[in-house]
Amino acid sequence: MSDPIHPAASILVEPEVDASSTPLQANGNPRPFLELRGISKSFAQGKQQLQVMENISLTVHEGEFVSVIGPSGSGKSTLLQMIGGVMLPDQGDIILQNQRINGLQGKAGYMPQQPALLPWRTIEKNVILARETAGMPRQESLALARNWLDKVGLGGFARAYPRTLSGGMQQRVAFLRALLGPQSLLCLDEPFSALDAFTRSEMQAWLLRIWEENRRSVVFITHHIEEALLLSDTIYVLSSRPAHVIQKVPVPFPRPRREELVDTPEFIALRRQLTEALRAELNG
Amino acid sequence: MSIRAWWKGIWPPFGAVVLLLVLWQLATSLFQIEDWILPSPARIAQEAEKSYTSLLGHTWATLKLTLSGFGIGAATGLIVAGVLHYIPFLRRALYPLLILSQNIPLIALGPLLIIWFGFGLLSKLIVIVLVCFFPITVAALGGLAGTDRVMMNYMQMIGATRGQIFWKLELPYSLPAVFSGLKIAATYSIMGAIIAEWISSSEGLGYYMLLQQSAFRTDRMFVAIMIVIAFSLIMFSLIVLLEKWCIRWQNDSTAHPKGGIDRV
Ligand SMILES: Nc1ncnc2c1ncn2[C@@H]1O[C@H](COP(=O)(O)OP(=O)(O)OP(=O)(O)O)[C@@H](O)[C@H]1O
Ligand SMILES: [Mg+2]
Repeated sequence: MSDPIHPAASILVEPEVDASSTPLQANGNPRPFLELRGISKSFAQGKQQLQVMENISLTVHEGEFVSVIGPSGSGKSTLLQMIGGVMLPDQGDIILQNQRINGLQGKAGYMPQQPALLPWRTIEKNVILARETAGMPRQESLALARNWLDKVGLGGFARAYPRTLSGGMQQRVAFLRALLGPQSLLCLDEPFSALDAFTRSEMQAWLLRIWEENRRSVVFITHHIEEALLLSDTIYVLSSRPAHVIQKVPVPFPRPRREELVDTPEFIALRRQLTEALRAELNG
Repeated sequence: MSIRAWWKGIWPPFGAVVLLLVLWQLATSLFQIEDWILPSPARIAQEAEKSYTSLLGHTWATLKLTLSGFGIGAATGLIVAGVLHYIPFLRRALYPLLILSQNIPLIALGPLLIIWFGFGLLSKLIVIVLVCFFPITVAALGGLAGTDRVMMNYMQMIGATRGQIFWKLELPYSLPAVFSGLKIAATYSIMGAIIAEWISSSEGLGYYMLLQQSAFRTDRMFVAIMIVIAFSLIMFSLIVLLEKWCIRWQNDSTAHPKGGIDRV
């Protein structure tokens, strides 16, 4: 499966990451914040086993924005479900801050593809949902939520119901809900893929700004190479099923980044490289 | 919604009822139908005015019976739904039986209940509880099981407990279904009360109807029927109002830009 890829100078080809190897990059942090070690997963499909991923390892450092891109069906969502403890890996460990969290729910904030706001809750009460389930004090959370809604220009909607908001606005609310939750790791599963192209690039810029001001450790799933390059510190490229890591790409652009970055030659070169890698993978 | 929009929705059925009453009135005088077969609307109205006082007591008795039966039935129905939802094994075992039991005319159990529980209040209450319990349980179970998968997954991912998922997600999500169950049960409970009173009673509208039947006072029977209908409509409307209030997050004007009456 491992096709020859352009081994550009800045790219580390890491087909199989050794679990014991401590990563050296990323701010000299000794231990990764989140570490997936040798994750494999298969599903029963009728009488057959569908091997979805094989020996996937990846690391996220504290305050690092990590994207995972890969063909459809390569198990990206499944990966997040395992980090969230909703699914168990067949093999491998999920280590968060030195603790093995296989099957433990609620260790990561989450933002799904559809905003999944509860329609009977007002916006502010949706924003505090993750805090509320964690038992944090309500008035404090509400004050914080209002504060943040004001900050992102949704203050006027604090007491409105979700269906009065556009898709883009709902996704902002869903992101705030994840951001204000008690968990310091955020898992975002293709959060912008249901939006139109214009709203999407608007949302990318929005997320970039908010995240650069409030660094969190993020695992970001996307199909969109440009989006991944604009936002991430590191990009993992998965193969098609059974998925494994075919490339780990550090994204060298300094922060704070601006949208204009996408027009620079360095960006275009890196984008081309990733496109090629994915295309090669799809043509198998 | 505006009064005009409301009126626009309400006048066609209202007009139809008025037209029907006029035709009825004309038919009875035109074909000279005897009062004991079909009294005219005017005759029924007269009779209503006359027997008003003696009917009050019966109406009150039926009202009490219906409401207590409905209350107990609804509460049991909701609790049973909650328990079955919580214990999947029980649900798998009993859900098919619940569905089957929907096809059994539970009213037919009335005479049997009298053997077991006597002619008192208990047998009547049991009839009503039985008839409203099932539709509510089945509706609530359906609603609880239909919870949006994405929202459910979200709640699990952020570590919500089983109880939190129930109170914060599943229960509110099932409310529209619960209310459709409640509406069905409300009509059933009135029907159940009348039939229970036919079978065993010394008061109530059902008893009154039997009494008048033996005297061929068709007009009085019609008065009782009218009360039952009014009663049924009022109960239904109250539940609809409660529903609107509980599900107000989807009920404001922008949802129906053209106004008009709701499709139930
Ligand atoms: N609970 C499950 N039971 C059986 N098969 C599953 C289950 N969840 C996922 N799969 C299968 O696993 C594979 C990977 O699914 P997954 O949703 O993780 O892919 P993905 O990379 O997120 O795809 P996409 O980019 O389209 O969202 C798919 O073939 C899917 O059918
Ligand atoms: Mg997916």
